[in-house]
Amino acid sequence: MTSLTNVSAATIPAAAALEPAAITIDALGKRYGTGPLVLDDINLTIEAGQFVCLLGASGCGKSTLLNIIAGLEKPTEGAVTVASGKAAVMFQDAALFPWLTAGRNVELALKLRGVPRGERRSEALELLDLVNLADAADKRPHELSGGMRQRVALARSLAQDRKVLLMDEPFAALDAITRDLLHEELERVWRQTGRTIVFVTHNVREAARLGERILLMSSRPGRIVNEWTIADTGSRRIESPEVARLGDEITDQLREEIRQNAA
Amino acid sequence: MPLDPQAATARVHDAGHDELRRLEAGLDSLQAVPETPRGAFRRTLDGVVPPILLLVALVAAWQVYIVIAKPRPDLIPGPLDVFGALASAWNSDRLQLAVTTSLERGGLGFLLAVAIGTPIGLLLAECRPVRRAVGPLLSGLQVLPSVAWVPAAIIWFGLTDATVYFVILMGAVPSIANGLVSGVDQIPPQLRRVGTVLGASRFEMATLVVLPAALPGYFSGLKQGWAFAWRSLMAAEIITQGGTIGFGLGSMLDQSRVLADLSGVLATILVILFVGILVELVVFAPIERRLLRRRGLMAAGLR
Repeated sequence: MTSLTNVSAATIPAAAALEPAAITIDALGKRYGTGPLVLDDINLTIEAGQFVCLLGASGCGKSTLLNIIAGLEKPTEGAVTVASGKAAVMFQDAALFPWLTAGRNVELALKLRGVPRGERRSEALELLDLVNLADAADKRPHELSGGMRQRVALARSLAQDRKVLLMDEPFAALDAITRDLLHEELERVWRQTGRTIVFVTHNVREAARLGERILLMSSRPGRIVNEWTIADTGSRRIESPEVARLGDEITDQLREEIRQNAA
Repeated sequence: MPLDPQAATARVHDAGHDELRRLEAGLDSLQAVPETPRGAFRRTLDGVVPPILLLVALVAAWQVYIVIAKPRPDLIPGPLDVFGALASAWNSDRLQLAVTTSLERGGLGFLLAVAIGTPIGLLLAECRPVRRAVGPLLSGLQVLPSVAWVPAAIIWFGLTDATVYFVILMGAVPSIANGLVSGVDQIPPQLRRVGTVLGASRFEMATLVVLPAALPGYFSGLKQGWAFAWRSLMAAEIITQGGTIGFGLGSMLDQSRVLADLSGVLATILVILFVGILVELVVFAPIERRLLRRRGLMAAGLR
């Protein structure tokens, strides 16, 4: 995971096509010890500023793939290149530090990034305001609802100021109403900050609602078997007919993949 | 990518965003858990009144028994006899001397135990081979009554304060070290993972993530360590007399026994108990309450 080129900042996704790929994955394979292959021959190029959803049934290795891109796990073969260096990561569990307030949690990320002490407070507030939580800066994680905690976690991962944001089923544990709102929130943050997002989920509708590009993975070993690109990503909702139509199409193929494991 | 404040403010006025903001704010207030902390006065009242009522009831029952059954006063003294013994110990300055001597030794011994137990605990928690080797020994030492060390300590150090401190350390250090180890073990793995993702160095991980996360476990180890230190001290003081060893509560207890003064014995036991409760209430309870409340780990009834 070496950064050979340093890409200059671009704030609008439209300019992304001119840049080199944000993430390049080349013939990646992964197995644990002498066990079976978890990931097999993954080849993937993700453009800067793209919103990619990685979809698959449980145990297809999508989280493993994400952890490898994040540098938390090492690939057995092949290589992953993240052009901007390291990536920010957000997990299913908000994993906020319970002894710090929401604001201090974001400030800690800024501190570890090397932001001078004097600027941390105001920058943390700005980031919390971006997820509409400026008023909750002095609250502790246990005083926040699950959705609010995830938004603080989002603000914290934005505080890392990395161009690539990896998300591992971040909304899986939330109720439907909250999840729906967070989809809107995330989409807005994505447009506003121009980050490259890789979003892992097992929820087909969620992928169809959020992604610009959807990658379907097969299970055991995990391979990328199909992908969809959505041309018009404006004003989608989870109830929209086009989301439903795409969801149906993806579900059919996902079921086909799962059926193959029955034998 | 740095945020563009101008673009951000421009979008804030975007109608759709405003609507989302209001929607989110509404949901947040619906989901927020209102916390109604009770006032300090009310909390103290709730904490202090029930034990005092119980104490009064117990003393009254004791006095009623004495009045009705009229037992031999040298075998079962009444509350007034015990109170008298306490007053005479106070008037002869023996009580004050014993309490200050014991508290001073207990406190100093405890601090020494913290200074020794903490690095041992850290080493055990972070270094697997050391833990495999030393862990069972430390758990064994925690089970071994520290009084068992008194004879050996007397032979090694004679009748000096070193004997007393040695026994305290053997009692308290294993508890403190084990408390820290279990505190570190109980850290949810995702907190460390977040530390890694945020780019924490080894040192930053230890100081900013591991130590604060392990604090509740470490603190309960400290509390237990104090209990062991205080018990060990009493045992050592009762057994070891004379030499250069000062006059502590344990010595006072043994002195009363030699004089067959049961009122004095019971009075001293009550003082030892009272000092233990006082240290728990004044030193440990407020810190623990604050620590747990800040992390939302406190049961609703204890807030």
